[in-house]
Formats: sequence, structure tokens, C-alpha cells
Amino acid sequence: MFLHVSRALTAAIVSFALMQPAFAHEQAGVAGGLVSGLLHPVTGIDHLVAMVAVGIWGAQLGAPAIWILPITFPLVMAVGGVLGVLHVPLPMPEVMIAVSAVILGVAVAARLRLPFAAAALVVAIFAIFHGHAHGAELPRAANALAYGVGFVTATGLLHLCGIAIGTLTRWPAGERIIQGLGAGIAGIGCYFLAQGLGAAA
Amino acid sequence: MKQKSVRALMAAAILLIGTSAADAHIVAARLGDFYMGASHPLTDLQDVVLWIATGVLAGTLGASKGRWLIPVFPVGLLVGLPLGPLLGNVSTELADATMMLAIGMLLAAAAQVPTLLLCAIAFAVAIIRGAANGAELGPETDRLLYAAGLAYVGYGSITLTMALTVVFKRASDSATSWRAIAVRALGGWIAAIGLMMASLALAS
Repeated sequence: MFLHVSRALTAAIVSFALMQPAFAHEQAGVAGGLVSGLLHPVTGIDHLVAMVAVGIWGAQLGAPAIWILPITFPLVMAVGGVLGVLHVPLPMPEVMIAVSAVILGVAVAARLRLPFAAAALVVAIFAIFHGHAHGAELPRAANALAYGVGFVTATGLLHLCGIAIGTLTRWPAGERIIQGLGAGIAGIGCYFLAQGLGAAA
Repeated sequence: MKQKSVRALMAAAILLIGTSAADAHIVAARLGDFYMGASHPLTDLQDVVLWIATGVLAGTLGASKGRWLIPVFPVGLLVGLPLGPLLGNVSTELADATMMLAIGMLLAAAAQVPTLLLCAIAFAVAIIRGAANGAELGPETDRLLYAAGLAYVGYGSITLTMALTVVFKRASDSATSWRAIAVRALGGWIAAIGLMMASLALAS
């Protein structure tokens, strides 16, 4: 009895599983663009830590930074992306991205309290460099809209991750953990900075 | 007995799962073009993003302003549809991207858009998307059924998106409540997507 049920179940699962590949082909361009856009910001460690650091720093700074950053950050990054797509050259992009991780990491570790305008300016400059790198490395074949949707969503979610981590600042122990994370991010930034300068030299 | 019923159930389940692909053909034989018009926009990412953006913008402005779109949007789709063949091979990518950028910026800024401007924006979006959907019509498609399907799904999507946004962002919320920020952040994301898409359309 059980044998029959499990056999029938296996048959059902197999027949269901075999149907899936047929659907996938229908929108290869859209799916491909979506996946590459989603994965692009997540696969570069230097990008990833900097994005998360922006979120954490925003949470540390409190209002209004904590709610202005998620609204404007993807937009500023898209401006950088436009420059990248149009191949407008920026000075030393790889080094600047590593520097951004170092500075944002240090800011989180030291609980640096800049006035909002200054903090926004720092983040905006770095956001343009990050966006530029993503735009310049864009796969030409991908569906443009799907890539944009994936890219912006991934960036926004990384940012939200940072803000969620940043809410730990409400507790004294959490504040220490976050400072440790900031130091770690700065360390990763240093590694990429050394690599970038080594490559440039 | 029990074994038989389990087997029959499994067989029925397998058959049911397997039918979905064949389903479309039966439908296509009768009122197919209605369903084609209704399903075409839902499979196009440009339609999905722009329609949702328009619905959310109308929803954030409140029900009294937004309800104008319930007639305006489907009518716009119907007006745009015959313009499709005139488009030829011209892509609406840049126009779509511009509309996304504009609507996204208005959302992100939480701008109090006047009703007339809101209707104009929605009408423009509907015309552009109606034309884009019309451009892919074959010579054998029943125009009337296709137009009816398109207008129907336009009415449904815009009304639902608007209603969901009105419910989500309650009028009593302050400007810094998380619901208001979430809607504005969504606007920022849509504007960013529009900006990236515009640059890609210009670059290619």
C-alpha cells in the first residue's frame, strides 16, 4: 500500500519536475537580466560591505538619515549607473570603492556623527562610484528593464539589511557589535584598497 | 479500495498539472483574443512596472483623486491601441523609462499632484502602453476582443493597485511613519529603474 502511494508520488513529482524547463525558456532575456541584476551587487564583496555599511550608518545617525537614505540612495546610484553605461570615465573607480568601504566602516566603528548634509554628500559621492562600476560592467545582452529592476531591488535590500542591523544600536551590547562590524568592514575595505593600489602600481 | 482512490487521486493530480499548457489552446479557439489582450500586458515587465507605479501614485494621493483613473486609464489604453501599428519598429523603451522616472520622482518626493496632472500622467502612460501592446497585433487578431481584454485588465489592475495603496498608506499616518516611507522608497526605486533603463536605451 505504502509502496504504491510512494511510487505514485514519485511519478507525480517527476512529471511535475520535468515540466518546469519548458516554462523557463519563454522569457530567457527577462529572467537572465533579472538574475544578473539581482546578483551583481551581491557578488562583489567590496560593494556588498559598503552597501550594508551605508544602511548601518544611516541607522546610527537616526532621523532624518534613516528614512531619507532608502528613498534617495538607489536613485543616486542609478545616476552613477548612467555614467557607467555611457562610459564617462571616473578617476580610479576600484580604489574609490575600496576607500568607500574603509571610510564607511570607520564611520560606523567610531560612531561618527556628521551633520546630515555632510553625511549625505559623502554617501552620494560613494554611491555614484558604486553605480558607475555596476553600469560599466553591465552585460549587453540582458533585458535593460529586467536588469534595472534586479539591480535596484538587490541594492535596496542590502541597504535595508544594513538598517535592520543598525537597529541593534538601541541596546548597549548591540552598539558594541555594530562597532565591531564597522571595524570588520573597514578591514575588508583595506584589503581591497591594497589590492587596487597594487594593481594600479 | 483506499488504494484505488489514492491512485485515482494521483492520476487526477498528474493530469491536472499537465493540462495547464494545453488549456491555452482551447481558449484560443473561441474567445482567445480577449484573453490574449488581457494576458499580454501581464507578461510584459514594462507594463507591470508602469501600471503598478501609476496605481501607487494615484493611491497615495487618496481615493478622491485616484478614482478618476478608473475610467481614464482603460480609455487611454483603448485610444493608444490603434496607434500601435503606426509605431512600427520604434521601441517605446525611452518613453517608458521617462514615465517611470517621472512617476517615481513624484512618489519619492511625496508630491501633492493635482487631479488634472494625475489624469494626464495616467492617460499618457495608458496611451504609450496601449500602443506598445497594439504594435504586436497580428493581422488575424480580433481587434474588438483584444481591445476589450486589454481595457478590462487595465481597469482591474489600476483599481486594485490603487485600492491596495489606499489601504496600506492610511490617511491618518504622519509623513515619517514607516508606511509613508515605504511608499516613497518604492518611488525612489522606480525612478532609479527608469533612469537606468533610459540610459541603456540611449546607449544601445
